[in-house]
Amino acid sequence: MDRQSDTKAIEELLQQYDIEVSINQSNAEIKVSHERLIEVSTLLKNNLSFEILMDVIAVDYLTYGDVDWKTNNATSTGYSRAVKPTIIPDIDETFKDRFAVFYQLLSVSNNQRLTMKVFTTESNPPSVPSLVDIWSSADWFEREAFDLMGIHFDGHPDLRRILTDYGFIGHPFRKDFPTNGNLEVVYDEEKEEVVYQPVSISTRPGVPRVIRDRND
Amino acid sequence: MGLETDNDLIDQQGPGFIITSVDKLVNWARTGSMWPVTFGLACCAVEMMHAGASRYDTDRFGVFFRPSPRQSDVMIVAGTLVNKMAPALRKVYDQMAEPKWVISMGSCANGGGYYHHSYSVVRGCDQIIPVDIYVPGCPPTSEALINGIIELQEKIKKEESIANG
Amino acid sequence: MTESNLTLNFGPQHPAAHGVLRLIMEMDGEVITNLDPHIGLLHRGTEKLAEIKPFNHSIGYMDRMDYVSMMCCEHPYVLAIESLLDIKPPIRAQYIRVMYDEITRIMNHLLWLGCHGLDIGAMALFLYCFREREDLYDAYEAVSGARMHATYYRPGGVYRDLPDEMPKYKANKFISEKKVKKLNYNREGSLLDFIEDFTNRFPSLVDEYETLLTDNRIWKQRTVDIGVVAPERAMQLGFTGPMLRGSGIEWDLRRNQSYEVYDELEFLIPVGVNGDCYDRYLVRVEEMRQSNQIIQQCIKWLRSNPGPVMIEDHKYRAPKRDSMKHDMESLIYHFKHFTEGYSVPEGNTYKAIEHPKGEFGVFLLSDGANKPYRLKVRAPSFAHLAAIDEMSKGHMLADVVSIIGTLDIVFGEIDR
Repeated sequence: MDRQSDTKAIEELLQQYDIEVSINQSNAEIKVSHERLIEVSTLLKNNLSFEILMDVIAVDYLTYGDVDWKTNNATSTGYSRAVKPTIIPDIDETFKDRFAVFYQLLSVSNNQRLTMKVFTTESNPPSVPSLVDIWSSADWFEREAFDLMGIHFDGHPDLRRILTDYGFIGHPFRKDFPTNGNLEVVYDEEKEEVVYQPVSISTRPGVPRVIRDRND
Repeated sequence: MGLETDNDLIDQQGPGFIITSVDKLVNWARTGSMWPVTFGLACCAVEMMHAGASRYDTDRFGVFFRPSPRQSDVMIVAGTLVNKMAPALRKVYDQMAEPKWVISMGSCANGGGYYHHSYSVVRGCDQIIPVDIYVPGCPPTSEALINGIIELQEKIKKEESIANG
Repeated sequence: MTESNLTLNFGPQHPAAHGVLRLIMEMDGEVITNLDPHIGLLHRGTEKLAEIKPFNHSIGYMDRMDYVSMMCCEHPYVLAIESLLDIKPPIRAQYIRVMYDEITRIMNHLLWLGCHGLDIGAMALFLYCFREREDLYDAYEAVSGARMHATYYRPGGVYRDLPDEMPKYKANKFISEKKVKKLNYNREGSLLDFIEDFTNRFPSLVDEYETLLTDNRIWKQRTVDIGVVAPERAMQLGFTGPMLRGSGIEWDLRRNQSYEVYDELEFLIPVGVNGDCYDRYLVRVEEMRQSNQIIQQCIKWLRSNPGPVMIEDHKYRAPKRDSMKHDMESLIYHFKHFTEGYSVPEGNTYKAIEHPKGEFGVFLLSDGANKPYRLKVRAPSFAHLAAIDEMSKGHMLADVVSIIGTLDIVFGEIDR
């Protein structure tokens, strides 16, 4: 089935409301600002019958395009694996558009999929309006995005941690959070309980991260 | 150890015939009916279920899964142990009555495994509880688990619980 | 003396909890008023680990997500990489993938049936279902070497072609030659002969299971009108797969948004009426029968159409070992493939398939590097478990066990 023609209806309706649809890899995608999110979502659900919210995906763009080794330089400055530890970047206060949320929508009646991309506010914590009143499935997906990425969803009835440990500090999937974490558990024989201690391993990068042009 | 007497000759002979026979009897009873508590966490739990099911039947070894830790003598930690689950693991272990043994099944329970570098994984359940047998594999096949159970039986047979007092 | 609600903690170590589930239940006597699931007791940080490994190294993580249906979890990840790379696997690879997806579907539904029955009290069913699963594990092992986590699908096709021989039982001092010959009756030919023998036996076995359960008074009392979900509410809650079809909505990704070669195969989609546990049970049992049919069609095609199972482009596929040893280019490709991996162009994509539990989707965002920038897995059980509070209000404690069973949840994919 030709996805390009299917998205004509979406494109026409949304153009009336001044929203552009872009097609990439046969996925239709729209970019919405966080002020207009509720308005557009209500439109998509009621007028275009996107009944199911499939997924809410939070992305941190802090290290987008960063590499461990520039492959275009001379090979005398090659990558030496065993030496460099993983670098945790410092947060640049002027970094704009760091967090984005992607919403995956499905219309059962029209057999269409749509991706909605929203950048969060620049505040700390970054926030986005909650879509729980429009689609009930947003409940746990937003809790997960809050837990793992630290994005606050305004209007969510019960925003608390869901996947990480009780009393966990930090948001693990942010790019400035180390993969090994900060704390690990061990059983203390004297206190006869499980206690937290600072993490004792450090992971060296096994394969360097490189960006290559496909036609190399 | 064993019976301490003033007579050096008896001490040099070791525990003696009766004590060793009672030891053997006790070990036979213990290895003949080891009841594990179901502690399946992740994928290894499915292989554990297969070990207990039709083709590789653990019931013929006397191994019969019990849901309650108070009624079991072995705990098979099958799957990845996560920081959030560690206190629960310790609680279940503490609720088991002596004598108790632990089999660590799969590479995640042995030493963190495929998820060793993660922020939320305990690198081996031996950080929390003492382990007797480590069964390697990802997941270990049901045959490997049964091999691990037999190794534990061999280990128990070498114990001298009565002789040691 | 005042009466108050009882707060009960169910799990995380519990035989009926299907893994590590902790439910905090507030009950008025025996009736549930509020249910709060605590998950995250198997949260291993898979998606964060995938960001530090090249693309092919994370295929094994996908297996371990839903560890009762392994290859179906690798599939959308591999489809997402192929979509960003803009490559297509050869047709024989697509048929093999479809066949193994359906084998995986049968495996999942057998374990679901066995464990659901075990929780409700039908314990013999557990042993019957696992007997069938052992044969399917042998099919996995013959093609990939591992009984469970196969890592068989790769971007560009599958790892290697189906073998011509099956491993056989050997005689030893406990089993005589005669007995071994009887045990090996279906292993004399190739893997396709073995699977074909399974598909010939399977419908009568499903009939056995149905005889035990479908018209059983006790089974019906425990599943009819338990956990009823209306169709509009099911869509609002994000249900997919048998949960959605049990409520009467005809939606199956294999039919509506076909991928691989499903549009060339004939099969029916069972749809329920009432949306209770009994209807979902009937839907899944019928799906097993339909999967059997699909496998038979695939076997017929695979027998008559030999061919390559992986694309030829050596950027994404390691060259053959003997050519690596005497050809310079192959050596360079081999080196680059195993040390650095291939780089996936910039872009994002969401690919979903009809997993046995629902819609399993993978969102992949790449910035052009050899490692994913963001990998997110949409697990069907996550959305299903979120609805457990709504589904169990007003039911009794024993019904919660039926509802957990019918949701068909697995913690590997919920917690990731």
